[in-house]
This record gives sequence, C-alpha cells and structure tokens, in this order.
Amino acid sequence: MHPLFRTRAAFLLYLAVWVPLGAMFGFMLSLSGGLTLPESTAVALPAVIVLFVLALTPWYTCKALPLRSTPPARLLATHLITAMCVSTVVVLVTKISAAMFSLWLPNCQTRLHSAIPLAAFMVLLIYMLSVALHYTLLAVESSKHAEVLSREAELKALKAQVNPHFLFNSLNSISALTTSDPAAAREMCIRLSDFLRNSLRLGERTSIPFSEELALTKTYLEVEQIRFGKKLRVRHDLDPACDDCEVPPLLVQPLIENAIKHGVATLVDGGEIAIRGRRVQNVVCFVIENPFDPDAPAARKNGFGLISVRSRLQARYGNAGRLETEVDNNRYRVVLTVPAK
Amino acid sequence: MQTIRALIVDDEDLARQILREYLAQERDIEIVGECTNGFDAVKAAIELKPHLLFLDVQMPKLDGFEVLDLIGSEIAVVFVTAYDQYAMKAFDAAAVDYLLKPFELSRFRAALDRARRRLQENARTPSADELRRAAAAPGQFLQRIVVRDNARVHIIPVDQLDYVEAEDDYVGLHSGGKKYLKQQTISSLEASLDPAIFVRVHRSFLINLNKLGKIEPYTKDTKLAVLSDGRQVPVSRAGYMRLRELVDAK
Repeated sequence: MHPLFRTRAAFLLYLAVWVPLGAMFGFMLSLSGGLTLPESTAVALPAVIVLFVLALTPWYTCKALPLRSTPPARLLATHLITAMCVSTVVVLVTKISAAMFSLWLPNCQTRLHSAIPLAAFMVLLIYMLSVALHYTLLAVESSKHAEVLSREAELKALKAQVNPHFLFNSLNSISALTTSDPAAAREMCIRLSDFLRNSLRLGERTSIPFSEELALTKTYLEVEQIRFGKKLRVRHDLDPACDDCEVPPLLVQPLIENAIKHGVATLVDGGEIAIRGRRVQNVVCFVIENPFDPDAPAARKNGFGLISVRSRLQARYGNAGRLETEVDNNRYRVVLTVPAK
Repeated sequence: MQTIRALIVDDEDLARQILREYLAQERDIEIVGECTNGFDAVKAAIELKPHLLFLDVQMPKLDGFEVLDLIGSEIAVVFVTAYDQYAMKAFDAAAVDYLLKPFELSRFRAALDRARRRLQENARTPSADELRRAAAAPGQFLQRIVVRDNARVHIIPVDQLDYVEAEDDYVGLHSGGKKYLKQQTISSLEASLDPAIFVRVHRSFLINLNKLGKIEPYTKDTKLAVLSDGRQVPVSRAGYMRLRELVDAK
C-alpha cells in the first residue's frame, strides 16, 4: 500500500500540499491565458484532481528503479518519459474540460491555447518533484526496515546466548558426579539438556505463555540446585492466573540467573530465592527476591542481565512494561510488571 | 621425595570433589584442607602453610585474585575457573597455571607437573596485582583493596580511600582516619585504579579526587592539597599539572 495512504495524518498532509499547488496551477492558467477566476477554476480543477492521483504513481516506478542499482541514463529517461505522458494526459484533461465548458465560457478554448506550453511544463516539474519525494519516502522506509531487522537480529543473539559460566560449571558438576553418583550425573545431563533444548525452542518464538517461561526457569533451577546443593533454596508462590499471559521468552530466566550469581553464590551459607507472581486485573506482577553479601567481591563481567531484559521490555511494551530493583536490608528485589495479554 | 601440601579452595562441593579424586592418585600430595570461601582460604593458607593452592576465581567473600594478593607469592597456585575470557588471557600472559572446568585427568596432571617443577625451582607466583590488572575487563578498575595484618583481613573500598602514601616497599592506605600498610609499590597500585579519580600528585602521594577540598600554595614550585577532612598532602609541580588537567576535563 502507498505510504501516504497508511495513516490519516500522511494523507491529510498530502491533501494540504495540493491546495496551494492546485491554486498555483489555476492562477497560472488565468495569468497566461487571460482566464477569469471562475473560468480557470472550472478548467483547472479536473486537471488538478487527475494530477493529484497521477503524482502518486512514482511509488511504483521508483520501487522498480532503485536509485543505487539503476543506471542514471535509464533512470532519467524512464522518469522523463513518464513525466511527459502524465503532462500530456493532464493537458488533454484541461482541453477537454475547456471544450465541455465552451457553451458557458465563450472563446475560453482559444485563450487557453496560449497557456498550454507553460501548463505542460509545470505539470512536468510537479511530477519530477513527486519522483524525488517518493525516493525520499523509499529511503525512510528502508531505514525503518533495517532498524526492525537489526533489532530482531539482536534479540535472536540474546536468546541464543546461554551463559558460558553456567554451562561449564554444570558440565563440571556432571564430571564430578560420574564417579561418585552416576545416576545423579545422568539426571543432571538430562536436566541440562532439557534446559538447553527448551531455551532454544522458546527463544525462536516471539511470545510464550508465562507458564512455559516458568517451567524453563524451574528446569534451570533444578540444574543449579545440583550444583549448589543445600546452598540454594527456592520458594515459589505463583498465582495460576498468570499462566496464560503471553510474554517474550527468556524474560524471567536471566533474572533468576542474576539472583544466583550476585546473590546466593556470594553467601557462604547460600540463601533462599523467593519467586512471587500475581495477576491484578490486567497486569502481571512478578517479584524475585534474594539475599546477597554487600561486601562481596565485584562480579567478573560475564553473561548478560538486567540491561537486556529492560531493552526487550521496552521493545515489546514501551512504557507499559517495567523492571524495578530495590535493595533493603541485604536483600535484593526485582519487580517485573507487564500487561497481561 | 618431599610431600607437597595442597589446599583446595572452591565454593562448590562437586568441584572440590573432582580435585580430591584426582589428587588421591598422586602419592606425593597431601590435601591439608578444603575451603569454601576467600576468608577461610586466607586463614588456612597462613595456618596450614600449604605449598600448593587450587584456587577458584569466583567465590564468596574474596575472589581468587584477592586471596593470592593476601597470601603472597611463595605458595604455588593453580587457578581453577569455568569460563572467564579476561582471566584466561591474563593467566596465559603471566604463565600462571590454570584449569578450565571441566578438566580431564591428563590436563590436571600436566598442570600438577608444572606446579611441582615450580616448587622445586622455588619460582614465585606472579603478583596478584599484575595478574588482576591483566584480567580486568576493558574499563574495569579496582573496586576495593584487601589488606592483611596477621590473620585479620581488611577490605577498603576505593571510594573510601582518601590518599595513598609511598613508604619504601609499602604503601600506606589512608581511609577514614585509619592507615593500613600493604606491600606494594605506589606505581603498581596507581595502575590498577581509575585514572579519572586517583591522581598522582607527588612522587610519593596518590589522592582521591573526590576527597580533595582545596589547593593552597606552599613553596615557589609546590603546593599543598587539603583534603575534605583537613589533612594536607604535598603536590609537586608535575603533580599539579596532572591535577589541573583532570579538574579542567571534568
């Protein structure tokens, strides 16, 4: 669809541009042909309406002849020939309307004759301007498209990313268990595979039910629980009403990962992660709370976290999705709010 | 054959278990202890006098670099880490032995053999300071300084550091009216700190720009920096120029 028809504002703007353009055309006819105001209005109006429509056609010719890949000679020739055709059509329409009104407007036709060359030239110019405008529109379109593509690529890269630290530590736990407890080693292999498979599968989709995200998070926690043993404790308190809400995938899992990395893992005796989910009317509110050591050594830079979750919330929900963090009494709390859909 | 006393430091049970299992096959190694956090590791290193440390990088309380910083360079160290791109580069550059989890027996034995050789040659482990600087992510500076006096460990966050004074082989760290001594040169400490905040105002003095009150003239060529708590630090001509540059840039 033509971009000027996509929004009301764009169409109104195009219409507004044609008011002075049409007036100019009529004024030019009356000046060079010596027509009176009613005469030039009657003759110019049908022509201007035709031109109004024809000036939109470069959208298709411009698309067919991209600026970069078309030889300049061909570009110029095609647009010039089209412009001449358009000019001929508009001039014809002017002549026909003058002929039709000849009963009421005596010798209008003969007077109009002297105005024809200038009118033809003016239409040519307007059409060429419209060609330029359409190339600009196309450039805007393609830059918007490129932006969408790059954002999608970025999200895809994020989704595919499994924190290498987590992966290698899990493999190390499996390696330890193979001699001491082979059944547990196998169990952990399966949990880890479940997590990897599901995060790949869910990462390909643009939105998933909250219940699936929570299931993924649970698998993740099961793997970590084998690694951390008694140090990691988890308490779930989830409202079943959240389950059906659609959310972008891997929104919660990185937050749990942070709660372990910057929280439980920093404490000698570990701690409990509390996960609460509530649905209040049409908002889902999700809270993750964990204790941490305020005197822990600075975390080494690895993986990704809040920033990516924030930018994905912003991309999906604009200002309706929020991620807030609070610290009180050596407890860290992340509050995620998204519209329930 | 002399027995090598080894200490295992890792916060994960299963990670320690693997090291125990591999070490059990080595007849010249005795495991003298296992620690699950940085504080315990420093304490055990002092009390149990191990020859060799298997040291995890990420742990509660103190990280592996801080532990190395506090126990000095006489103990041979094999770092054990899962994945840390910057640390791995630093270990390679400094020829420090390290194991990447999960590791196989042959890789473990190779690391152990090198550690044995180093112990025989009495080779020193590279300084923690140098290693940590090489392992820092770009734009990441020292966040806190660890100091040990006997068995006590002090942690000084760098934003609470007022100024640093060079004293022979030591630096005096002044923070909140207290002074801590640490064996390190002022230049190597300066290199680990954020240059936008810490300025070498004098050959022997480094100040925290955020604690600077005012600058007063002293002699013809030198000035005095008066810190917000009133303490005075001499400023040399070159130091004053560095200070001006930073203040003007802000």
